[in-house]
Parts: sequence; C-alpha cells; structure tokens
Amino acid sequence: MNLKRVGTLIKNEILHGPKDVVLVMAVVMPILLALFVNLAFGDIFTDRAKLGVFDEGQSQLVGVLESAESVTLKSYDNEADLRAATASGSVDMGIVLPDDFDATLETGTIRLKAYVWGESLAKNRAVIPVVLTDAVREITGAELPVDIETVALGDESSLPWSDRLLPLTVLMAVFFGGMMLPASSIINEKQRRTLEALHITPATVGDIFIAKGIIGAVLATFMGVLTLAISTSFGGSPLALILVLALGAIMAAEIGLIAGAFIKDMNTLFAIWKFGGLLLFGPAIVFMFPQIPSWVGYIFPTFYVIKPVVDLSVSGLSFGSVAVYVGILAAIIVVMGLVIVNITRRLNTRALKLS
Amino acid sequence: MNGRIVRALLKKDFALFMSNRFYLLITVVAVVFYVGIYFILPSDVDEKLSLAMYAPTLPPAFSQLTTQDAAEIELFESEEELKQAVLDSDYQAAIALPADIMEVWAAGGKPQITVYYSAMAPPEISAAIVALVKELAYMQTGQALNFDTTEEVLGPDMLGDQIALRDRMRPLLAIFILLIEILTLASLIMVEIEQGTARALLVTSMRVSDLFIAKGILGVGLALGQAAFFMALVGGFSHQPLIILTTLIIGSLMVVGIGFLVASFSRDVMSVTGWGMLILILLAIPGFGTVIPGLLSDWTKVIPSYYLTDTVSRVANYGAGWGDIGTNLAILAGFTALVFWAGVVVLRRRYQ
Repeated sequence: MNLKRVGTLIKNEILHGPKDVVLVMAVVMPILLALFVNLAFGDIFTDRAKLGVFDEGQSQLVGVLESAESVTLKSYDNEADLRAATASGSVDMGIVLPDDFDATLETGTIRLKAYVWGESLAKNRAVIPVVLTDAVREITGAELPVDIETVALGDESSLPWSDRLLPLTVLMAVFFGGMMLPASSIINEKQRRTLEALHITPATVGDIFIAKGIIGAVLATFMGVLTLAISTSFGGSPLALILVLALGAIMAAEIGLIAGAFIKDMNTLFAIWKFGGLLLFGPAIVFMFPQIPSWVGYIFPTFYVIKPVVDLSVSGLSFGSVAVYVGILAAIIVVMGLVIVNITRRLNTRALKLS
Repeated sequence: MNGRIVRALLKKDFALFMSNRFYLLITVVAVVFYVGIYFILPSDVDEKLSLAMYAPTLPPAFSQLTTQDAAEIELFESEEELKQAVLDSDYQAAIALPADIMEVWAAGGKPQITVYYSAMAPPEISAAIVALVKELAYMQTGQALNFDTTEEVLGPDMLGDQIALRDRMRPLLAIFILLIEILTLASLIMVEIEQGTARALLVTSMRVSDLFIAKGILGVGLALGQAAFFMALVGGFSHQPLIILTTLIIGSLMVVGIGFLVASFSRDVMSVTGWGMLILILLAIPGFGTVIPGLLSDWTKVIPSYYLTDTVSRVANYGAGWGDIGTNLAILAGFTALVFWAGVVVLRRRYQ
C-alpha cells in the first residue's frame, strides 16, 4: 500500500466519483429514518405538558420545576421571548415569576402572570397549575396529608419504541452508506471499464480498495454519529460510542468491498442488499421485539456493533461493560480484512473487468 | 405561441410520462397513499385527562374532579376491575381511594391512596396523577393555595375545538404531492436531453418558447391536478376554496421553475433523483412546522415553501381570509416568478 497513491485515489473519488442515487440514499435515508422515528415515537409527540418560565428574580421554583417529571420546562431570558414561544406553541403555558415570588408564597398566595397557548390541550392546562402548586408546596415545606403508593401494572421491562428502533436507524445509517458506497463504486468502475485505465498507473488493486473503503467508512461513521445526534442518544461515553460506530463503519466498508469485488452490476447489488439486509438488520429485529430470545442476536455479526451502541447510548453503560463485544467486533474486522487482502492478491484489474 | 405545436408537445410529453412506469406508479400510488394516510390519522383530539377511579367513599374535593371539563373520570365498582382496566390499556392510570378515607382524615391521620399506572405509559402520566392526588388531598384538608394570576390566551382559543392531527397533516401532504412533481418534470426533461430529442425538436419549426410553454403546462397540470384532487378528497376546499386553489396554482408554478433548474444542472436521471430529493426534503421542512407547532423556529421562513404551507394551513385549518395571507401570497408569487425565470433561462442554455 502506498499512502500517497491512496490519498490521490480518495481525492479523485470524492471530486470526480459518481454522485448518484446510492450516495444520496446513503446520506438522506438515515436522516429521514432517524427524523421519522423521533417524530413518530420520540419526545415530539409526547403527552408531557410544556411549561415556559421567565424568572424576574431568583425563585427556587424554577429549580423544583426542572426536576418535575410531568412537565417539560423551558427557561426564557425575557418576557418577550416567553410570549413569542407561547404564541408559537413551543410551550403550552408561559409564566412570569415576579422578583418577589418566593416572598409572597409565605402568605399562601401564588402571584404570577401566565400566557396560555390558544391551542394547548385542556389536560395540559389542568396539569400545569397542579404541577406548579406541587412545586410551591415543596418550597414551602407543607406536610402532605396523604400517603401515596404508586404501582406499575404490566410488563415493566418495556422500552419505548424510539429506543427499540434505535438499533435499526443506526444500522441503516452505518451499513447503507458504509457498504453500498464502496460496492457501487467498484461496480461502477468495472462497468465503465475505468479500472483498465488505472491498470496503467502505479496504483494497485489494494490501493483502490483501501481508498474506496476509507471513503465508505468515514461517511458511515459520520452518518452513524449524525443519527445518534438526531436521536439525542449519546449516553455518558460519547467517545466510546464514536469508536464503536467507527469500527462498525469499517466492518460495513469491508462487506461492501467484498461485495464489489464479486458482483458485476448494480441490479445484482440491490438484489443482494434486499436479501442480505435481513442478515445485517437481524439484530435490530431482535432488539425491537423482546419476545425473541436474546441469544438469536449473537448469531449476526452486526450484533457486535449494535449491542455496544445500545448499551452505551440507551442503557448508559461504561466502555468497560461493552469491551468484550468491542473485542469480538475488532476480531471480525481483522478476519474480514484478511479476506480482503486475500481477494486483492488474487485479483488484478483484468480479473475485475466485466466478462 | 403556436397552439398546434404546444398541443403536439403536450401529447408527446404525456405519452413519455405514461411510458415511464416508475413515475406513473409513484404518481398514482403517492396520491392513494396520501389520501390513505389522511383517513388513517385520528379525526379528533383527545384533549381530556382520562382517568379511572375506585372510590367507595368519594371525598368532595375528588368529586369536583369528576365535573371538571379537563378530566374524564370513570368510577369502578371494585379495585380489581380498576386494575384490569389499566392492564387492558383502557386507561393509562387509575386512582384507588380507601373506604375509610374521610374517617382517617377526620382522625388527623394520613389515608393511603394507590395510583396504578400502566408500565407502558410514559412516566409523566403517573407523575401528573400523583401531583393531582396531592393537590386534591390538600384541598380536601383545607390547605388550598390562593392564585393571584393574570392570564392571557395567545392566538385563537381552541379549547374544545382542537385541530385534529389529520387536518394538521393536510397542508404537508398537499405540498408534498406538489413537490414530488419536481422529480417527475425534471426527469422527463432530462430523458429528452439524454436521448437528444430536445435538440431534434429545436430543428423543427417549433420555437423554444413553445417548448417551455408545453413543459410548463404539463408540470402545472401534473402538480396542480394531483394536489387539487387530494385537497378535494380530504375536504381542503371547505373554506375559502379560491385562496387554496390560487395558492396551489402558484405552488405548481414554483415546482415547475424548480424542476427546470434541477434538470438544467443535473448530469443524468440519477443525478436528477439525487438533487431532486435533496431539494424536496429541504422544501418539505416547513410542512412539519404545521404538524407540530413550535417545532421549528423563525429560520424556516427563509425556505420559500414556508409561505405555501403556512398559507394552506392558515386558510384550511384556521379560516384565514385574503387579508390574512396576502403577504404570504405576495412573497410566494415573487419567489415563483424569480425561480421560474431562472429555470427558463438556464434550461434554455442547456437545450441549446
């Protein structure tokens, strides 16, 4: 491998390579899917009432409301912003806490100015004052005249659908671009017979494969990170998460390179993608439906990408807890890398030509 | 303009459109799909707090809750039935009061109230019910707080008359139908350029203006026909139909202009798909703001389709009239004129 040649090939691929539907789909599809999942199953359609606050003083109420589970709190720097946010529907209700708010609480009176969004639901208009009074009680230290026991009924292990669908969105982001881009690029070169032109340059098949693999892996990593950003699922170890995504992207690029070496045209590539997608996205289905025994996931190589991603992002585990999976993933990458080295040794540009 | 030539061009383009199975299929399927989506979405808004309660003795403060407009309370005969209703997902949360609640309070004690909630329910549900029970308990024991508040409702007060999700989606779907035609029109033009029929046409007696008129009529016809058909099926013309129709016509012209631009700077049909999809997604963004109010900030106003979706939304959902949306239409018409002119200029160069 010659780094300078690989660099030139990467530059050439980025500047003059095909900007076709595969590239567009590799970029657009994951974003659309992540947005759709978040819109349909995420916080955007949540039933939680949204409360806006502009605190003229330093009221303790804001701190108490921030920890309230039944409302989403947004703070504003001035009354005009609060009013505008309420008018646009960013919050259901906006309240202005006067600078003497805490002092007047001692008289048992809640004095404030409230803006209500005209399209706010009746239940949200009912819940917000209740949460406000609850927060005021907490500040004033009123003794609760009742014992309340909360009992969850049903299967407590259920994850929200936005979390269950996260593996699918991440796998789609990493594997569509990471795999399809190098594969389609090699097939394009074979179909247009441009590999023959490369044959008369000092570039080897290995250099070409590495250049295409790097582009696929970089794009796949970027799309994986972007998907997690849209899903706001970085967990407590973002660097470890990016490392796992990068390893997953390398695996995807390796699969793409192998596919590109053996597939002759784009139709076959898409046909294999449709069938092979089941193998790639198998673990995502296992995560979606907890009724499927978890051991099924271990069969799929992509499980070792998605398991650490879910553990790090959704479950908030540390890198140490997922190190074994990352180790297995690294081993798979090394084995696949050896397979590619073997392929590139056997192939020359003549062998890569269409028959 | 030569009417005979334009008619012939339209006939040719329509045949070309019908012969491309992919675009014909997505055109038909898309309209059916969008109409289907509209009718699948909920037609009303569940804006009340739905709650189950088991109360052998109903304290006055809690009985007030049953008369509240914001709450829908169903009383159950036994605690087991109450729990079963939550397990059956009939209710997300339920309150069970003890039989001796009033006696315990009278004796200065603390009765135990149980809040049942579905494990599948979001945590804010149980938290809100717990806060509600606490406040009712305070009220029942004579510790209610006084509110000294001034309240202002911003925008039309839609309490009890909320806009259903399907109606919020209506402008987005209609605009999406329009925008899809960017791809169709640009692809038809690109096929002509790739196959060389455009150059062949230009050596006939046809003038370039005839070609653009034919393409414009085809584009506007395809976009407007589908969008108007959709709006007619989903009741989009029930209020101020003339404004809606005018808006859709301007929108269709904008789509044609953008279609010309996409065709002129694309290399091939694949490239049209790529660029067209990116532009389509960008232009669709403001539509999401009508579905989820407050989701997007003011920056979306720089996207020209904002004035399209906002106009349709305000007229169809809020009953706006000409005076309310005049500025929107003026901006939209201005942008459309600009993009149409630019599209014609650059595509003319591409043809020649």
